[in-house]
Amino acid sequence: MGMNETAASRAEAVRNAIYRACLFLDDGKFKEWLTLCAADFSYRIKTYSPEIRKEMTWYEQDWSGLSKAIEMLPLHNTDHGRLTRHATVYEVSLDPSGSEASATTSFVCYRTMLDGINAHLDAGETQLFLIGKYHDRFRFGAEGPLFTERTVYLDTRRLDKGTHYPI
Amino acid sequence: MSELRKEPVLYDSGQSMPYVDSRIYSDEGIFAEEIEKIWKKIWLVTVHESELPEPLDFRTLTIAREPVVIVRGTDNKIRAFRNVCPHRGNLIVRKPAGNLSVAEPSGNANYMTCMFHAWQYDCFGRCVDIPRMKQGYQDRLRKEDISLEALPCEVKHGGFVWLSLNKNVEPLAEFTGEAFDIMKVELDTEPLDIFHYHKAIIPSNYKLWHDTNSEFYHDYMHYFNRATSMMQKGYFERQYTAFPNGHCTVGSMEVKYEAYQGAKERPLSFPGMPRNGWKMVDLFPGATYNIRGSSLRVDTTTPIGPNLVMIEFRGLGLKRDTPEERAQRIRDHNTIWGPFGRNLHEDLLGITGQGVAMRPGTEPRQVLHGRHENNSIHDEIGMRHFYAEWQRRMGRSPSDPMRELSLAAE
Repeated sequence: MGMNETAASRAEAVRNAIYRACLFLDDGKFKEWLTLCAADFSYRIKTYSPEIRKEMTWYEQDWSGLSKAIEMLPLHNTDHGRLTRHATVYEVSLDPSGSEASATTSFVCYRTMLDGINAHLDAGETQLFLIGKYHDRFRFGAEGPLFTERTVYLDTRRLDKGTHYPI
Repeated sequence: MSELRKEPVLYDSGQSMPYVDSRIYSDEGIFAEEIEKIWKKIWLVTVHESELPEPLDFRTLTIAREPVVIVRGTDNKIRAFRNVCPHRGNLIVRKPAGNLSVAEPSGNANYMTCMFHAWQYDCFGRCVDIPRMKQGYQDRLRKEDISLEALPCEVKHGGFVWLSLNKNVEPLAEFTGEAFDIMKVELDTEPLDIFHYHKAIIPSNYKLWHDTNSEFYHDYMHYFNRATSMMQKGYFERQYTAFPNGHCTVGSMEVKYEAYQGAKERPLSFPGMPRNGWKMVDLFPGATYNIRGSSLRVDTTTPIGPNLVMIEFRGLGLKRDTPEERAQRIRDHNTIWGPFGRNLHEDLLGITGQGVAMRPGTEPRQVLHGRHENNSIHDEIGMRHFYAEWQRRMGRSPSDPMRELSLAAE
């Protein structure tokens, strides 16, 4: 396999990992999602506030913290809305070493309500929840790329009820 | 009616089980009256001074439907004005925040410029330019006569900007009284700095959010609070204290954060704050200061309609924080209070459900405020105290709100 062919296949593997992550997250399969992530994975949700004119971090966890947070989800009340992502990978960049890569993905996330406001009226309705970009880092191993870092950078800053789920 | 109370008073519906009528949360007429009798009359806490750190920095907001702009002057003093051009009633400053040194397409830098006809105002609210004034108005108009209306404005209680639309409002110190004594050292020993801002618009009544902040019985909704607080020593000894004018406070306990899987002790704090402590100040008619160990959260509400409220959430630490300390405060804050935090989502679901069950047009219901537990943490004294002030200002009983009381001020 030539150099360009290797680069192309690695870029394709990165895209596939991002889309697979979306499918796991859409299905609420959070533990499966974490299998796509390296042990040193870090996850954060960030945005910029024009109101206070500062970058803000709204959520930050490592792999272990995410795993524990996911385990605790059944103990918490939520609106049971299903979050569905529509993502497009805009850019994949392989590091010169060829062992790592970064990617930028634009996404929208919809919420299909179950008991969000008034279930009798609203259950089944889909609303745009938020939009933003995934900024991901990957490391290639024997079984392909693993996420080492995900920064969810939000454009949407009014999330109203918010959510307990990873985006 | 506007005279302040000297002693706290609790609302008593005259029943063995105090209640309020749900129409106080849903009736359009009562909501309109609240805007006039409460929101346009009293002091309201708004932005933090660290949102306007430099001269000519500004913030815009809406109070009781009235557009307001807050500006730090070239003399470093923070002032507030009605953000409406006296010419044709247009909004003047439109961005949520910024600095007036940036020129706008309709006008020069350093001024607030109405984009419609380029009338300009300086940071003191003075009109400084009217294009072609002489040609249009001859000698019938003077710039000196059309300054922006300045509003009562003070920076107090941790560096927050307090405003009132009422030019004759009593001194702020009289309105808040001794309510901040419990948090004075934490708030006023050294400068604070904002690190978090987000907002939520929820189909519910503003008072329902303040009710949530004024009672802890709803900790049953939060697994995080049950594990780290309710199951821990000292929780049921926390005391509510009522203060004149509808304010109340909640005393501290030592929270065991490590009792929640994945959470850690909070080594950072505020001056005077016990390690892992937790104090609250609830302010009439809809703001709360809440310190949990390492971070201060301040909620402010903006009523939009009887069944619609905007809640703004701010998180603050100490201005002198190192980057590492600040990052830790932010992590602590977000664990429970960010839009992805454990508690806030649940709290907002709670009042969303109330908003459904008590939306305009639903049948009147009795909402119980009757827990008496010697003012301890599950006592509902906070809400009863709030509604005593509400009754005084509205001239209506919360349990019989469609009938005006004969004496508005008792």
